[in-house]
Amino acid sequence: MLDTNREIQELAADYAGALRDGCIPAFLKSLTREEAKRIASSRQFQDAAEVTRLLNGVGFADKALIPNVDLFISRVNAEISSRLKKARASSRGRRKAVARHAAGTEKRAEKSV
Amino acid sequence: MNRRLRNALKGLTAPDIERRRRAMEPFVRATFDVFIRYLYRYLGNEVECEDVLEDVYADIWENADRLRNVTTEKQLLTTVYLYYMRKRLRQVYNRMNRNLHLSQRDLENIIAPELGVIETASQSELQQIVRRMLNRLKARERRAIELWMEGFSNRAIANELKTTVGAVKMLEFRTMLKLKKMLRDYCYED
Repeated sequence: MLDTNREIQELAADYAGALRDGCIPAFLKSLTREEAKRIASSRQFQDAAEVTRLLNGVGFADKALIPNVDLFISRVNAEISSRLKKARASSRGRRKAVARHAAGTEKRAEKSV
Repeated sequence: MNRRLRNALKGLTAPDIERRRRAMEPFVRATFDVFIRYLYRYLGNEVECEDVLEDVYADIWENADRLRNVTTEKQLLTTVYLYYMRKRLRQVYNRMNRNLHLSQRDLENIIAPELGVIETASQSELQQIVRRMLNRLKARERRAIELWMEGFSNRAIANELKTTVGAVKMLEFRTMLKLKKMLRDYCYED
């Protein structure tokens, strides 16, 4: 991907290679302004990209290493716990803020009386 | 849809947090293989697929309202792609976007496009479609695509076909456009 002025067919082939090899960021970073413009305005690139995704899904998704589901479930549980914790902390914070606000209003009301 | 998945879905859409949490494990077990293969189409990288999927499941746990009326596996896949996966997929490379020349919209379209044939078809359907389409290609085009699908680099394909790398890229590009046209025809037939 050192060529800096690639035609649309070269860009499509490089995108296909990058998707297959799991290195899309390297492809995206390799794009020059001109190439990016070419991609943005090319319907053919979008079509080729769609077929690439199709071939990638059929050719490689089954061969890809499928991780241990049990281990993955524990990751999901940890993520859920952390979100739950965050939600509780924010609702507690909100409740405290409401209580503080109410106390402040009462004090102000007493002073004015 | 099998009973286990149906029960898990029912649990996921329950208002009780703990019930939703308990339903997550059977749901992950029933859908993990399908979802991770699905994500692989867009990322081509197992580690990223796992990271995205972890967030997708947590999002589903947080708000599974979209899955309330799902009755078939195909519907489940489409709904999960549209409302949970696509958002996460689009976030994957967003952080590097300020260093890129692509606009946000173009980047998003490359990473996770709108709903098309690929997004709605199951893995076995896709395999059938590809097999059928490859059979209709010319020998040289078919060979180039098959070699690519076996993991050959463009240089290796060029050596195999006794041509140059540039010619291989052109051949691949033209063949992909041809395949896209076949895919469109296939949709109309369907």
